[in-house]
Amino acid sequence: MSIASAIIQNTPIFGKMFTVDKSTGLEEINAWPALMIMASFVWLAIAGLLGFVMPATQIFDLDTGHFYTTLTLHGAALAFPFSFQLMMGVGLHRSGGCVGKAVTGVFPALAFITMNLGAALLTVAVLMGLKVSLIVMYPLPIVGAQMGIWSMNSVILGFTGIYLVLACMILCYPILVLKMLFFGTKRPELVLSERSLNDPGMVGMTLSALTLLIAGTPLVIVGTTVLFALYGVIPMTMAAWATEPVVFQYAFFIFAHNLMEAMALMVMSAMYATLPLYLADGTRKLFSNRIANAALWILLLTSITSFLHHFITLYPNQPASLSYWGNIMSWGTGIGAALSIFTVLATVWQHGLRAEPGIIAVLAGFVLYILDGASAMVTSNIAWAFQLHGTMWQSGHTMTVIVAMSMMWMGVLYHHYPVITGRKLDPVLGVWFVRLFAVGGIGAALSMLAGGAAGMPRRFAAWNQEGWMIYGNLILFFGLILGASFVVYAYSLLKSRDISSPVVHQVAAA
Amino acid sequence: MLDFLFTGWGAFWMTLFMLVPFAFMFFYVIHRKSVVDSGPSGSPDKKMSRLEGIWLTVVFVVFVGVNLASLKFMPTIASAHAATTRTDIQNIDLSAKSWAYELSSREIEAGRPVRFSGRSTDTMHGFAVYHPDGRMLFTMMLMPGLSKPTSLVHTFNEPGKYKVRCLEYCGVAHHAMQDELTIVKSN
Repeated sequence: MSIASAIIQNTPIFGKMFTVDKSTGLEEINAWPALMIMASFVWLAIAGLLGFVMPATQIFDLDTGHFYTTLTLHGAALAFPFSFQLMMGVGLHRSGGCVGKAVTGVFPALAFITMNLGAALLTVAVLMGLKVSLIVMYPLPIVGAQMGIWSMNSVILGFTGIYLVLACMILCYPILVLKMLFFGTKRPELVLSERSLNDPGMVGMTLSALTLLIAGTPLVIVGTTVLFALYGVIPMTMAAWATEPVVFQYAFFIFAHNLMEAMALMVMSAMYATLPLYLADGTRKLFSNRIANAALWILLLTSITSFLHHFITLYPNQPASLSYWGNIMSWGTGIGAALSIFTVLATVWQHGLRAEPGIIAVLAGFVLYILDGASAMVTSNIAWAFQLHGTMWQSGHTMTVIVAMSMMWMGVLYHHYPVITGRKLDPVLGVWFVRLFAVGGIGAALSMLAGGAAGMPRRFAAWNQEGWMIYGNLILFFGLILGASFVVYAYSLLKSRDISSPVVHQVAAA
Repeated sequence: MLDFLFTGWGAFWMTLFMLVPFAFMFFYVIHRKSVVDSGPSGSPDKKMSRLEGIWLTVVFVVFVGVNLASLKFMPTIASAHAATTRTDIQNIDLSAKSWAYELSSREIEAGRPVRFSGRSTDTMHGFAVYHPDGRMLFTMMLMPGLSKPTSLVHTFNEPGKYKVRCLEYCGVAHHAMQDELTIVKSN
């Protein structure tokens, strides 16, 4: 039994959801991915519960420090150890089964350890008092320590945790994916569904890994320098260039923005790979691989420089020409999305669809993803950016893209779950998951966007003014529905039954 | 109508304009081809190619049209234009430090352009100005360590008290970092 399988088996509650079926002989493509997926759900549970603390502090007039603590933990946990790790786990299982390569050895272990240890260290740092939001807001960590709001030890611990998480996302995971795609010998016994690198399902994976590696390299260089200085490995004077706010911020957002785009490329490619398997006529092919691949390439090429939209309101320090470019490229990603929309609808139109919960979850997540895309394009237009930047619009956009991609991955997981665990899921619970998630996700998104439109600031512990509380209440309401959908999903995993047993509708039986 | 479109609520309606028809179309296709009739449609390739062309053309026209229409509302263009054509610009220098602003003046004459030039002396801050009715007029990002200030030219047309808020998270009293501008009638 691998270490990963052993950890899963010894984990209470969550372990039961993801115990790997060893009888298939596929443990080498299932164990580490299953462990990553399980860990992502543990973080989801923690971060999801924390999400209710923010509106609670506002509704019940509690200490605003709790708001900012939760803000940091909820955001960071959902973006990285939940959403990214879920993508890692499902994606690695997929790639292993598509190219016939094992997900074993040093790299999967390193990816798991860096992500989860890093997130744990950051959590401890935040509990020690570090409150910097999920994007660090450099130089706030240093300034806060200088002002005595939190300790320098919490800053060093927090930076260490963030660095480990970045190391996972920029180095360990992309190198592992590229290693699996381009190196090593294919083992036929591990192949579930053979794909070539020309398939849209594999193209997106390749582009995603390369994007993370290349866009993240400047941040690795800057981050390593800062970390070495914090630990005294090099004198602070040698790190002065890296600690310039403008250097850190640009390196950070070149990566952070492209991280989201890389995750989008991954999830689009997963959708392209999964949708054909649910076509009613059994043809198992997209309407056009050419259009699907074009969509991925357009998304990649336009998104690389669209990160400039994060600094539109820094004018004239960011020259207007760069802001215009960021504006144009951001809307250019919408052309890629338009091609994806056409591919999906044309495929379903031509071939029909078997509407099972997994694929419906993927498609509902895609709708949410397009909602987010529309909100993102709007706020990256310069005229609108000066009216929306720093408001709940951005929070709504960030939350929606992560929630949308997570829903799609949870739908893809539905598809792969029987292969990983040897168990199948109740379709009735699956339908309820999709309904609750769709209502909660769309409702929370529109509530946050409306709050932003009304000028409600983000990361701001004073909702009770200018009539903003109504948006806070709506966010809480739809957040509760979203939370309920996750509970249903987790319940369906706990109540999964062996593949060989007949389907029993547990909800009706109960 | 464009004056409304390029406001916060205009952005919200624009987002719905892009989402709602797409969502209806999406649900229609999925519902029809999974519940009503899941058989192959057999639509000819030529028809699908024409649909693809129409779809992409509509998307492209909307994208280009919206962005061209937004040029007039870009504060960067307004700032550059005012800098070269107006001689009556009021100048307000401001600096932000956790958690308060220092402004060279808090009184501004309505109808005359005013250039806000802002710096941060410690961490990231924002300088967002709100109309008395609660809507945000503009926001600026203030990043420490830059040689040039962040700068924007705006013309206030209505006298009144305008709130200033920090919109870049700057620590535990971020929500308390506020100020006020008084816009007075022009002499």
